[in-house]
Amino acid sequence: MSLSDRSRVNLSRALVVTGLILYIPSNMMPVMTMSLVGKVDPLTVMGGVLELYDSGLPLIAGVVFLASFVLPFAKLAALAWVLFLHGSPSLRRERSKVFKIVHMIGSWSMVDIFLLAVLAAVGQLGALASVRAEPGCIVFAIVLLCSLVAAEIYKPRLIWEDV
Amino acid sequence: MIHIAKRSLQPPFALSLTGLILLLLANTTPILTFDVVGRSQSDYMITGIIELCRQGYFLIGLLVCFCGIIAPAVFLSCAFYLGFAIALNMRPPGLKLVSTIALAVRPWNLIPVYSIATVVAVVKLEMLGSVAWQPGARYVLGVAVMSILCEQISNRQMAVEQLKKMGVMKKE
Repeated sequence: MSLSDRSRVNLSRALVVTGLILYIPSNMMPVMTMSLVGKVDPLTVMGGVLELYDSGLPLIAGVVFLASFVLPFAKLAALAWVLFLHGSPSLRRERSKVFKIVHMIGSWSMVDIFLLAVLAAVGQLGALASVRAEPGCIVFAIVLLCSLVAAEIYKPRLIWEDV
Repeated sequence: MIHIAKRSLQPPFALSLTGLILLLLANTTPILTFDVVGRSQSDYMITGIIELCRQGYFLIGLLVCFCGIIAPAVFLSCAFYLGFAIALNMRPPGLKLVSTIALAVRPWNLIPVYSIATVVAVVKLEMLGSVAWQPGARYVLGVAVMSILCEQISNRQMAVEQLKKMGVMKKE
């Protein structure tokens, strides 16, 4: 089954809009709850970054901030710009460059999902230490999937076509 | 010219084979051990996926499983199959299908991202208890390096030319 060019553009647009709408709740809802010796700590994406920063690890905090907070939004915003200008002859070279960059760096936003998987794996020590995933991680994963699938569906050659 | 093409296609062949062996080891040995007040827990790649599914987060478990285990395995297997066929100038069945699968699965091979996430997890866990790296971490890092090198070194142009010569892809 192959998609027509029009369907590709429409589907990518729908996914980008969905991703942008869900981006706000994905950053407000906790993605996991860590409890250590009775102390329960629900963490949002930004909460995890702040925790790392407060613990004197600004470099790691910066990496997580870029990968989990900046990149998903930057990718969705860049895709929205490319798709908004689809069919117009303006800024084609720039759009092509932006799309290439989006493709290259986009997958790094998955850091937080993998982090949750590693923490959930070791956080099974009962009352001593436990890590539970929270519904926010589903919303966050949907945002990432929307941006990843949208970038895969929209082909760079479409930038140069007047469809 | 064909000799040069074959020679330049040998590194991805070797890298994909190494990557596949390391991926098998990464999935069968623990990555790290977390210790709190004398009680410890080991982390295998599959443990996190099972735990997420147990908590009812099947989508997240499936996503981690696909991007962390299945996609790297499929990508490296396809790269190995293509490299094997091109390097030995053989035409085993399904070459076109394998090349299509390799291209489709490549963006979902997120094992390098998984290795960075493991480092971040260790930093986070060190604030809560003691963490010890296990051999699996080295294997995960090895698979990540092999995947990146395989993608970067693969001379796609030469591979396409060679597949065209073998009649697998259409000549323009």
